[in-house]
Amino acid sequence: MNKIMYLEFERCIGCRACLAACRECGGHDAKERNYVEYVDFMESRQTYPMLCMQCKDPACARVCPANAIQITEEGVVLSAMEEKCIGCRNCTFGCPFGIPKFDFEENKMYKCDMCYDRSKHDIAPMCASVCPSEAIRFIDFDEMQELRRKRTQMNLIEGKKPAEHDKWQYVPEFFGVYSD
Amino acid sequence: MSEFVVKPGVKNLVHDDEKLVTTHCSYCGMQCGMHIRVHKKTGKIMGVEPRYDWPVTMGKMCPKGVTAYQQVQHPDRIKRPLIKKNGKFVESSWKEALDLIETKFKELQSKYGKDSLSVFGGVSMTNEKCYLVGKYARVALGTRYIDYNGRFCMSSAAGGFIKTFGIDRGSTLPWPELEHSDCFFMAGSNTAECHPTSIQWFWKAKDKGAKMIVVDPRETPTARVADVHLDLKPGTDSALANGMMHLIIREGYVDEDYVRERCNNYEELKEAVKLFTPEYTSEITGVAVEKIVKAAHIYGRSPRSVVMFARGVEQQSKGVDNVALYSSMALLRGQVGKFASGVATFTGQGNGQGGREHGQKADLLPGYRKLTDPEAVKYISSVWGINPEDMPKPGVSAYEMFDEIQNGNIRAMHVICSNPAVSAPNTEHIWSGFRKLDFLVVSDFFLSETAEFADVVLPATSWAEDEGTTTNLEGRVIRIRKVIEPVGESKPDWLIMKEIAERMGKGKHFNYDNPGEIFEELRIASKGGKADYSGITYDRIVKEDGVFWPCPSEDHPGTPTMFKERFDTPDGKANLAVVNWKPAGEYPTEDFPHILTTGRVVYHYLSGNQTRRIDFLMEQCPVPYAEMHPELASQYNLSSGDYVRLTTRRSAMDLEVRITKAIRNDTVFVPYHWGKELAVNQLTNPCLDPVSRMPEFKVCAVKMQKTAAPEASLK
Repeated sequence: MNKIMYLEFERCIGCRACLAACRECGGHDAKERNYVEYVDFMESRQTYPMLCMQCKDPACARVCPANAIQITEEGVVLSAMEEKCIGCRNCTFGCPFGIPKFDFEENKMYKCDMCYDRSKHDIAPMCASVCPSEAIRFIDFDEMQELRRKRTQMNLIEGKKPAEHDKWQYVPEFFGVYSD
Repeated sequence: MSEFVVKPGVKNLVHDDEKLVTTHCSYCGMQCGMHIRVHKKTGKIMGVEPRYDWPVTMGKMCPKGVTAYQQVQHPDRIKRPLIKKNGKFVESSWKEALDLIETKFKELQSKYGKDSLSVFGGVSMTNEKCYLVGKYARVALGTRYIDYNGRFCMSSAAGGFIKTFGIDRGSTLPWPELEHSDCFFMAGSNTAECHPTSIQWFWKAKDKGAKMIVVDPRETPTARVADVHLDLKPGTDSALANGMMHLIIREGYVDEDYVRERCNNYEELKEAVKLFTPEYTSEITGVAVEKIVKAAHIYGRSPRSVVMFARGVEQQSKGVDNVALYSSMALLRGQVGKFASGVATFTGQGNGQGGREHGQKADLLPGYRKLTDPEAVKYISSVWGINPEDMPKPGVSAYEMFDEIQNGNIRAMHVICSNPAVSAPNTEHIWSGFRKLDFLVVSDFFLSETAEFADVVLPATSWAEDEGTTTNLEGRVIRIRKVIEPVGESKPDWLIMKEIAERMGKGKHFNYDNPGEIFEELRIASKGGKADYSGITYDRIVKEDGVFWPCPSEDHPGTPTMFKERFDTPDGKANLAVVNWKPAGEYPTEDFPHILTTGRVVYHYLSGNQTRRIDFLMEQCPVPYAEMHPELASQYNLSSGDYVRLTTRRSAMDLEVRITKAIRNDTVFVPYHWGKELAVNQLTNPCLDPVSRMPEFKVCAVKMQKTAAPEASLK
């Protein structure tokens, strides 16, 4: 698998189809594992999707005292294994993105697994499949790089040129999740 | 017949114990492609799988689409006929229910005449069913009183298109071409919430540098990223369109050759828009002069542009004028009938396009034929096997049917696939009409607010339990497949109509065993009409990813792009709109100082009878709310979460307040998907468009008052 999840925040239209779709994934127990939030509803309707970054060296797994969070050979960070999870919630505190969810009734953590039953066959996860705005995409690593370059290129075409003090504004909004 | 249609090389996840059935969503006019997962052994619907290779939506779905399958085997489904006895619904057999309907219908007709019965149809069902509703009313019941909920949805677009182009097809271009447009002028459409899966095309075009001009009193998700957001006062579209055309003419952006060769009324239009200087337009619409000028330059300079609109401009007492004016903008630029450019309306209901073409309207016969045209009556009578003299005359529009109830002319109604108790304006008038009826039959698959008034409720099937076709917002005729057998004792609407027809002694005109046979008859009935389906077959739809009407013969490729050479008017030329400014039916006064506008949210569909039963959607949006600007809220000391009483000349209701700067400071917005005391249509104005008879849902005058939160039981 050489695909990555690519997020482009400003495309998001706040429809939350990704949340509904997340519940549809086979192993997801009808609970969504992703997020869509308003930046500030008072100011505008801008929303943004948020999902697991599938870190190479995930903080959630590192802080797990029970070693319950496994990483697949493709690099997908799975939910805590039920038989190992002790319900300490260290993972929820450790994750810098606020991703892992905690089920207080079942006393266990659950999180995005990139719809592992789909993505291991190179089929897009449910959220990326349905996202009507393509704010969430499941694309080839190369395509991701091209998209990153494209944004900068569009700015150049429009006559803007980065200078030392503002070059970061030319960096496209994106999150490349993982690759091998 | 293969039920799972997928192109080579497209990968879907298919579980071993499940099969996939390829179909489309039950909700809006996008008719997103989807596969439904069915358990092979139990027949249980397991979920949804994206249809990545459907060319209009590419597997994308909104939250309604993702959860649409949950309606089918929902515990709330009506599984047996219900008869109201002593004010309570009692389950009954089909025989008992149909006996009662037969007795009542015959009794009322012998006492009060044929026209004492009426039919209120809907367009969230297949072409086959919609076609049959018209025939059922006119042949089986023999009544002139038939109309449908498209009157609250698409009729202004239809009126405006017919006036301008001579034919009513929602989009003059196929949707995937939108990617190649340079400019979108979108008026009165909250596209991101109402037609979310179309967004991919707009964003793709935007990636390539396309410009976007959005006309809306609210800063919708599309307005937020627009190059110009024309934040007009609700109800002032005709002034804005005239103002835009004033500038297009003044700045020399008119395609003079195109207008000379293909349009009428240019000189009159020039004269009419002279008055609409940016300053005058700004005064009426409340949009800043600079924005109007900027929009005109962007639109005027774009080589390929699409003018698009939706209920925001159509649900007004000037809906037809608005549509004609905005369409004229595209004509002035010579955009109609060309690649990646043209005019389109966002069809609201699943089959809003197909359902309005085949005779559910008070004055129309199949194929978009006019009931007032003797030739049309003769032809359709021959298809139906009746005497032309027996064809009922035109009836009245949907809302006006309720006036006829009050007048005592309509005594019974059969509501099919519709929920006017929520979706009609001034609902208290509608409710009083339902109470006044001697007999009300409702066919539905959930007990809607309308069904609660009924004497007999007949359990219809959902969209996933029957074969058929719909016509999406492009004008593409597509295939709906049966996923499972009917739930409980429910029956498809066509079968219900057939059985009532048999009891009314008209069985020989309804001799169908399956929807395919109805479609074959529809092909013949529409042949030679404006909406000609005669060349379309179920097989072609599957092979060709849908077929665009008009398609007059089986070797005709269909018509993705309309009006390439001529318009469908008698002289082949489009009619530019010449319309003077007139205010909405209601405007703010001292007593009612603000404007109320209504609309949808992404989580709900129409009257909410379907979506209010889906857990995910209700978690996201359980109740209506009043959205307003902090500047307006502070005048009444309101914060988010407080309650406000909205009062119009018709009624009052209490709503939770949501504050955002993404709306004009003189306008309050309330979504309309709820019934009874939560229905904002208690407040809306039934002021009708003179041509389309579309009520003015989008504008009325309102006053506000801070109020206490309702008791917990009501929340």
